[in-house]
Amino acid sequence: MRVLSLHIPGTSFFHRIGTGWKYLVMLGLTLPAFLAGRLPLSLALLGLSLVLLSTCRVGLRYAWTLPRGLWLLVALLFGYHAISGNWTLGALTCANLLVAVYASRLITLTTPGAELVDALVRALRPLRRFGVNPDRVGLAIAVMLRSVPVILDSFGQVRQAAQARGRERNLFALVAPVVVRAVGHAQAMGAALAARGLGDESP
Amino acid sequence: MIELEGAEVSVTVPRAGGAPIVRTLLAATTLSLAEPRIAVIGANGSGKSTLLRLLNGLVLPGRGRVLVDGLDTRTHGRRVRSLVGFVFTDPLAQLVLATPADDVELSLRRSVRDKHERRRQALALLAGRGLASLADQSVYDLSGGERQLVALTSVLAAGPSIVVADEPTTLLDLRNRDSVRDALWALEQQVVVATHDLELAADADRVLVIDAGRVVADASPSVAIDAYRGLMSA
Repeated sequence: MRVLSLHIPGTSFFHRIGTGWKYLVMLGLTLPAFLAGRLPLSLALLGLSLVLLSTCRVGLRYAWTLPRGLWLLVALLFGYHAISGNWTLGALTCANLLVAVYASRLITLTTPGAELVDALVRALRPLRRFGVNPDRVGLAIAVMLRSVPVILDSFGQVRQAAQARGRERNLFALVAPVVVRAVGHAQAMGAALAARGLGDESP
Repeated sequence: MIELEGAEVSVTVPRAGGAPIVRTLLAATTLSLAEPRIAVIGANGSGKSTLLRLLNGLVLPGRGRVLVDGLDTRTHGRRVRSLVGFVFTDPLAQLVLATPADDVELSLRRSVRDKHERRRQALALLAGRGLASLADQSVYDLSGGERQLVALTSVLAAGPSIVVADEPTTLLDLRNRDSVRDALWALEQQVVVATHDLELAADADRVLVIDAGRVVADASPSVAIDAYRGLMSA
């Protein structure tokens, strides 16, 4: 289970509208929640996000389920505020976080990755005159998104290797190999990008 | 047609409290690679990967030069890389986007401007390899062989005239190895493949044996593979 679920092809309303509109809906859900800072509004927007997600017809389980790590984060956030005596703020923070996650899912669930990058590249086009290369930025973001699971995966592998040698309590023994692997992965992917002539384009 | 003219690759390794050591990865090599299927075999660390990376300009020779269809890899790197597709050992490092369809589209980006047409072509290319049902799955959910076939599809989508593959079957089980091997040898492009899979090498037109940074045998598969076996048991 990922925080931002992967694209599932479909024909629902949200599948058919343009990517720009989806970004607007996402902002329309999250910005008021964050700017107003009122719990009833945030809860209403959270409910609305869940309803909109259900209209994508990809299965409620897939659309609504969150990874355990995110629940842990929500619990920690709420716990911290509850202990410091402001449980309303805790509930508000958690509701806003969930609105942001679910509203973003509306986009990632209904849009192929390449199209997301395309939309971003279009939005960045006006910045061309300031020396920004939109295609390159788009590619960098795609590579970044793609690398997150790689890092998580290598963390799991390193932890198992450490467990096998009875060293799982040593944080440094976990982090150092993950960093080394991350650099190795970056080099391999850099070579792959260069080999495919991506990022070679003249600006 | 690939030509190496005295191409040599070395790295300088700094040493604490002494002169840096110069280590030769590939001694001056002159080769003319014209056969449609060429295999490169040799021990781990013998210089196979370095030789392969010279062919598309990922590594530049310190001395000498490498020409692909008459283009120098040093001065025409970009053109050379569009002529030479490169398949890596680990397909996960090679697949840049999260799903096969997205990744193949990325290769088509330069040649197909219209995005619907691009999507259609990407799906058609995947279907042509029998991968249609995987087009929108995460690359993580694919088997090793499927990933390698997707990587090959992405590389071919860019329209190269030569395909270079660095141990493409090393991480694969027998069934996947066979399917990648069949796909590779069925290509109409010229293929240069480095491998430890001697059955794969046996089907080539020409086999190069590399040892300690030198081409020590360059012959038909049976002769070259015997030379390699002799080398490994010596």
